[in-house]
Amino acid sequence: MLLAVLDVETVKQLTVDGFFRGCSYGLLGAGFALILGVTGRFHFAYAFTYTFAVYMAYQFTFPWGVPFWPSAALGVLVSACVGVLIERIVYRPLAANAGPNALLAIFVASLGLGIAGENAIRLYWGSETQSYYGPDKVAYTVWGTTFINFDVWQAASAIVLVLALAAILRWTALGRQIKATRVNPDLARIIGINAGTIYLIVFFIGSVFAGVAAIWYGLKYTVDPAMGFNPVIYAFVVAFLAGTARSPIRVFITGIIVALIEQYSSIWLSARWTQTAVFVVLVLYLTFLAVKTSGFTARIRRALPAGKA
Amino acid sequence: MELWLNYLDQILLYATLGLSLNLLLGYAGQVSVAHAAFGAIGGYTVGYMALNYNWNFLAGTLLGMLFAFVIGTLVALPALKLSTEYLILLTLAVSSVIIGIFTTFSELGGSYGLIGLPNANIFGWSMENPRDWVIPSLVAMLLVYAFCHRLGESAFGRVLKGVREDPLATQAVGKNVFAYKVGTFGMTSALAGFAGALLAAWFQLATPSVFGFSFSLTVFAIVIFGGMANLTGTVLGAAVVVLLDPLLRRAIHLEASTASLVQLIVYGLALVVLMRLRPQGALPEGFSIWRRITKGKPKPIRIEMLDDWEPTSSVAVHQPGAGLSDEAEAVREKARERIWQEAPVILETSGVSKRFGGIVAADDLAIQLRKGTITALVGPNGAGKTTVFNLLTGFIRPDSGSVRLNGVELVGQNPEKVARMGLVRSFQDVRLMHRLTCLQNVMLAVQHQSGENLGKLLFGGRAARRSEEETRAKAMDWLGFVGMAEFADIPAGALSYGQSKLLSLSRVLATEADVLLLDEPASGIDTKWVDTVLDLVEAVREQGRTVCIVEHNLHVVGRLADHTYFMELGRITAQGTIDELSNSPRLAEAYFGTA
Repeated sequence: MLLAVLDVETVKQLTVDGFFRGCSYGLLGAGFALILGVTGRFHFAYAFTYTFAVYMAYQFTFPWGVPFWPSAALGVLVSACVGVLIERIVYRPLAANAGPNALLAIFVASLGLGIAGENAIRLYWGSETQSYYGPDKVAYTVWGTTFINFDVWQAASAIVLVLALAAILRWTALGRQIKATRVNPDLARIIGINAGTIYLIVFFIGSVFAGVAAIWYGLKYTVDPAMGFNPVIYAFVVAFLAGTARSPIRVFITGIIVALIEQYSSIWLSARWTQTAVFVVLVLYLTFLAVKTSGFTARIRRALPAGKA
Repeated sequence: MELWLNYLDQILLYATLGLSLNLLLGYAGQVSVAHAAFGAIGGYTVGYMALNYNWNFLAGTLLGMLFAFVIGTLVALPALKLSTEYLILLTLAVSSVIIGIFTTFSELGGSYGLIGLPNANIFGWSMENPRDWVIPSLVAMLLVYAFCHRLGESAFGRVLKGVREDPLATQAVGKNVFAYKVGTFGMTSALAGFAGALLAAWFQLATPSVFGFSFSLTVFAIVIFGGMANLTGTVLGAAVVVLLDPLLRRAIHLEASTASLVQLIVYGLALVVLMRLRPQGALPEGFSIWRRITKGKPKPIRIEMLDDWEPTSSVAVHQPGAGLSDEAEAVREKARERIWQEAPVILETSGVSKRFGGIVAADDLAIQLRKGTITALVGPNGAGKTTVFNLLTGFIRPDSGSVRLNGVELVGQNPEKVARMGLVRSFQDVRLMHRLTCLQNVMLAVQHQSGENLGKLLFGGRAARRSEEETRAKAMDWLGFVGMAEFADIPAGALSYGQSKLLSLSRVLATEADVLLLDEPASGIDTKWVDTVLDLVEAVREQGRTVCIVEHNLHVVGRLADHTYFMELGRITAQGTIDELSNSPRLAEAYFGTA
């Protein structure tokens, strides 16, 4: 029964699909993990910066007539700046104000921004699905699997960005400062690191990752104001599964694994179940985590003040 | 008119759901974004049973509440061991799974959901229009309000607030934090199921989009807008959120489609502004419109109380050793050591060891605490003194060895169980509940409160109220004991460090435990208060209670301790009077780093 369903062609195609999809999850996850891990902000409005990037790119290309690639880059850049502004204008004053309850206050504000942002997009660009196109779509067939040029570019750019981030964290002074801030922002401040600036940089990098993922998604599929929600939920899942303080490479690989689970689960489950399957995996993982850490470490962790102002 | 009645129904039903979330989010501090999904369980049950089995609306509601309760409790088991960000994620995932399951089954209408539900019927009274719904939804809202108010503003609610502020400290005064969390999660899920069932019957449909994630966020926003742990605020929040739509449409003459977008933008931005300007919400915790009208503005805290204040204990304390010469002091110490030797052992450890990886935190500890005496634990930083407290009170489980209190084994017991058995510890870093008043902080620690028991609280008649009065009186006594009676109504977060140390001492005392472990009771407080604290600890000894202190200040140890253990690198290396210990050159070197 099991083997009958498992024909090699299907598995190969699912693996390839899973890999490409996973590159997107991994990239988003790495960006979100960087933001959450370093700043401690539960940045729900990540969904908004994601969507905004592709809408801005659309705006530059179509109404304003900028060539495709520069406008894609501009879209990513503009949305990354929005991410930085959100940190500077909204989160930072909130954190200073809310003290130990900062996590919840920022989560709520972030939800608010996400809701407001999505509906502002609807108001300006309309609620309907838009098609976003530029270069021609080229399909390849390799080893009996098919994929398109956008898949390849997306995977390549995701891998380059994640490796670049890992390299920055590993070998540069900036990377060491980011890691120091992640471990203890107050201590980092004492040794002369401007934690505020590090936070802004981290929001910039994280938002660029989201923007890049969004552009490829928009090219491959279509664009709509609510498109950010699902990918960002996956980014949360991936970031938490991998651990937010872990290397971006580890987060990226976790993203690919999640996507593969999602793809393979479609062998046994109806397609509508695949998303639920991922969340079931997450619930099981969190349950496992709760059981594993139900001892003293979990209590300490819960009891610690948010600390990351 | 019909339209406004419709809005009124909607406000009442949204408020019902919001109230149940407020008990969980505002009082117990558990962030759940799955509340609408639990509502969906109620709504789908009512819909499915009505459409397929012609079940009455009330029967469906009860079944839905049961399902929501069971699933909510199951989710709570792992969820409540997690930190806030993981809890948000888990409830997000659970919400997706529940809605995902509803969307997947074609029996439940797939992504279209269940539509065309029959009119709800209560004992033969069919509700056909918004007017019919006003009374039932008002009754439902009031019922849930009364239930949440009963729980929230009682001894039960005080424990929930303790869980919210500091679960560890709440455990340390003997409350079963885990049971409270899981119970509250289950109960509020059942209430959400109740509200969801009503909503489905009112909408006459149960669809994935009605109960989707965005509805969860709406309910979440209602609670945040209104004010956490303020139930009236939640009703107000529901009114604001529901009425925003018609107001915008009428006030600025927007067409329906634009108005709903602008409404969402306004309300998204309002959340941001609210978090910035008024994070406590429209009506803050503890604010009551009724009280404000009848009693007027509360008096502001007098600043001089916080600055130039000295504790004046309500009990007369005497200083037995005051004014003695050094020799006399040494003689007195010898006498105390003899008393210690003769006193019955009340707590005894043997062979207690604990390793964290390669670090030996405790190695074969043998400690005795004797009745009516003060034992001190001294030693250099990092010797493992606080770890000993954690091992004794069940916060850390030793790898081996035994801890016996009056002959009863404590190893393997939860911290709350240990506390209830009469062994209570204080924390070096105080750990007060900042948003609770000083009196509430102390009341939390009082044992055997009927109001903490749900059955007695809801059905016990006046037992809970009587117990509450007794608790209050007891707590006032202990607050007075440390000289802080005048601070009863001031939030603990407003206190200076020295005052919070005193309050934490009062909290430990209010447990009326036989054995008290005090972690640096006199450190970090004004020197002129140190004597007050020492007097208090001595007064506690006079009451026949057993005390163990961890302390760096040898003056404090010298004055209080009847017997002293010296600890180095997780081991007890010497014991005796402080005099004997401080005359040993080796120990002096270990302690002070000089020969």
